[in-house]
Amino acid sequence: MKGIEFFRNVSIGRYVDVDSPVHRLTPVAKYLWLMAIIIPVSVSSSTAAVLACSIIALACTVLAHVRLGFLLRGFVPVLPLFGIAAVFQALLSWPGDASPILVAIGPASLSMREMMAIASMALRFVAMMLAIGLFTSVTTEGDTARGVEDLFAPLSLLGFPARGFALTIAVAFRFIPIVAGEFESVVKAQAARGADFGSGARGPIRKARAYLPLIVPVTIRALERAEALGEAMEARCYGVGPATRYVRSVGSTADTMARIGAVMFAVAALAGPLILGLH
Amino acid sequence: MSLVTIQSLSFTYPGSSTQALSDINLSLAPGEYIAVVGANGSGKSTLIRCLNGLLVPPPGTVCVDGFDPAEPSGRVGARKAMSVVFQSPSDQIVASIVEEDVAFGLENLGVPYDEMHSRVDGALGAVDLLAERHRSPRFLSSGQQQRLAVAGALAMRPRVVAFDEATSMIDPNGRAAILGLMDNLVSSGITVIHVTHDMDEAARAQRIVVLSEGRLVFTGTPERLFASRDLDGYRLELPRSYDAALKLGLEPHAGEDAAGLGKRAARACGMDVLAMISRLEPAASPADGSPAGVTAFSVRDASMSYSAETAGGRPAVQRASIEIPAGTLVALVGKTGAGKSSLLQLLDALAIPDSGSVVSLGNTTSDRSADLRSLRMRAPLAVQRPESAIFEAYVGDEVAFGPRNQGIRGAGLVERVEAALDAVGLPFQTYRDVLTRTLSGGMKRRLALASILSLDPEALLLDEPTAALDPATRRDVLSLIQSYARQGRTVVMSTHSMDEAALADMVIVMREGAIAASGAPDTVFGDAWDESWGIGRPFSWTMAGAAKDELNMEAVR
Repeated sequence: MKGIEFFRNVSIGRYVDVDSPVHRLTPVAKYLWLMAIIIPVSVSSSTAAVLACSIIALACTVLAHVRLGFLLRGFVPVLPLFGIAAVFQALLSWPGDASPILVAIGPASLSMREMMAIASMALRFVAMMLAIGLFTSVTTEGDTARGVEDLFAPLSLLGFPARGFALTIAVAFRFIPIVAGEFESVVKAQAARGADFGSGARGPIRKARAYLPLIVPVTIRALERAEALGEAMEARCYGVGPATRYVRSVGSTADTMARIGAVMFAVAALAGPLILGLH
Repeated sequence: MSLVTIQSLSFTYPGSSTQALSDINLSLAPGEYIAVVGANGSGKSTLIRCLNGLLVPPPGTVCVDGFDPAEPSGRVGARKAMSVVFQSPSDQIVASIVEEDVAFGLENLGVPYDEMHSRVDGALGAVDLLAERHRSPRFLSSGQQQRLAVAGALAMRPRVVAFDEATSMIDPNGRAAILGLMDNLVSSGITVIHVTHDMDEAARAQRIVVLSEGRLVFTGTPERLFASRDLDGYRLELPRSYDAALKLGLEPHAGEDAAGLGKRAARACGMDVLAMISRLEPAASPADGSPAGVTAFSVRDASMSYSAETAGGRPAVQRASIEIPAGTLVALVGKTGAGKSSLLQLLDALAIPDSGSVVSLGNTTSDRSADLRSLRMRAPLAVQRPESAIFEAYVGDEVAFGPRNQGIRGAGLVERVEAALDAVGLPFQTYRDVLTRTLSGGMKRRLALASILSLDPEALLLDEPTAALDPATRRDVLSLIQSYARQGRTVVMSTHSMDEAALADMVIVMREGAIAASGAPDTVFGDAWDESWGIGRPFSWTMAGAAKDELNMEAVR
């Protein structure tokens, strides 16, 4: 459909419904592997560790029967961000960078070291996006929330509201399409009365004024719907006492192995390069 | 022994100076079926919320199954004993899988795993949703979603189930299913409280409670209420079958359906019955001054789908073709999800067809050079619940938003605003400086309509303009639409009420995105009628059909 539509821009329901060893893991194992990849990719200074993470993410994608192209399409919206970061890498020189200059345009130049930095950043970027994309492809909305509850279950002994936290995530998932729908409905209602968003208005205040017909009703409606959902939850005895759970996330031995594997991999990826002196 | 007791219950919202409920006294027996009726804003929903402690009533005024919802501990007991099914199907779904949503209440109560599973199975079976248990609620129809909400309530094993306008946002078939579920509950000994605007639904109850401005003004059998002369004062109306029986000179039976009345009428009146029934229909008043032969909207082989590029994309309109002559009042009917809203958006150029074409008031909407903004203002669309788009602080400014966008200023603007507000029954002098947020639900709907009428449009596109309104406001809005159409302007409105559709010049039936039938109401609800549309017939048609069958049966005998 052309015209006015917002659902298209809301990326939920990316879950790929197939059976695979990766899909069969419990949400906790999936979360642990997600973190085992993301943490080293973000903090490790070792290219070898980042490379290992990328390979693991790629291997899991193959194992999960998720098409790589499907995951890569998820990158598109964040590419501009990556582009900006790359430009900064190229423009801002390291003090004492003595590596050979590869390209020079006017005062700006790209040295070998900068080139390597950009490549390493790209690798981190791909590994991270792949891991996140894969996680959402193999985990249902319900499991995403339940996984948080399971992950924080040990802390709930100390009074941490694990279930409440998980429910917050579940409700947030429910609200994405609701708010998008409200937004679309209000935009259409105002467009039918000749509202013209964004075009023509200059200056931040006038621009903001042009969006007033949207912001006020969308905020009110979102709050009203949140209240309605809150009432429905309360009416169904939410928060009255210790809760049980309809879905059990009990894993097999393979799942336990996967959890241990995730922790060991993360430790190895973080500590390994330091011990071996790799850089 | 009463299950629910309400004694001198008064309730005032914090910050409000008027009482939302005032000195209510009522008691309900186990297995009783009561209907609560009253105008928008009469306190019906407030009453339900006081019963299960969503609002905290004064201590000692409410007792549900022995629990006082004013106390924190009593609140839990009251909520266990009384489940509520709310108005909006999608606003009460918490989980992302059907069966997990049914289990939500049980999880909260700490019901053990095995028992939880057997209760969920039972509840899903009772509402006929077992086949959908592993699906996402998002992909259910609104009728199915509402049945899911009932399942969530049933799983709690309540002694009372309250339905708070739970049938007002779903299509006729979904509505019939919910009413059937209510009957099942009552026969299994559960008390049902049914808050509704639909007097035909209310007439099915054993007892009716009428609220007016927060006061309980009537409680008694439906027969007694309908025989009393106070209905207009309560802003209510007679159920259709009751009204029709009176007009046919028969003894009215509260809760009788169209078919039942038709058969009875055939037995009582013999061969004259069909002519008598046809006289019940208000004669359609032809529009004056409509330009003959001019086409307002022309849809040719148009298709469109939502999120076409993604895996979840679905077709909304499929190869639809229809010509709508200028000056006609068109009713658009079909089940929820049949594509009514999408077709209206195509006509208003808020959506552009993926293939085929739509010509609105002479403009091809897919034409890149078409001025869609001014086209939309010539044929504005009031979306569902248009009051949700109100954003200005004052009534006058809200109505002036449209004409201002058309470039109208000064005296001309005032004139437009005044005419529009007067037309919807919110006199300009009284309402121009009233804060929009202080208006009642019905007034907000009328304000939303005024704010598109002020565009002085050539055509009006209305998406379910009468949904969720009380009988009196509904009548006002309908007569407003009819009088607008009588000026020779085009109106296309979607509706779930076939009785409203029968008032139109032309009815378009949609099924699964395609146009299944179109023509005069006589044709569509007569010879062209097809059961598979899933929409039901207007009251008098159902009645006439049943009467005909009865006459044929007698002839055979």
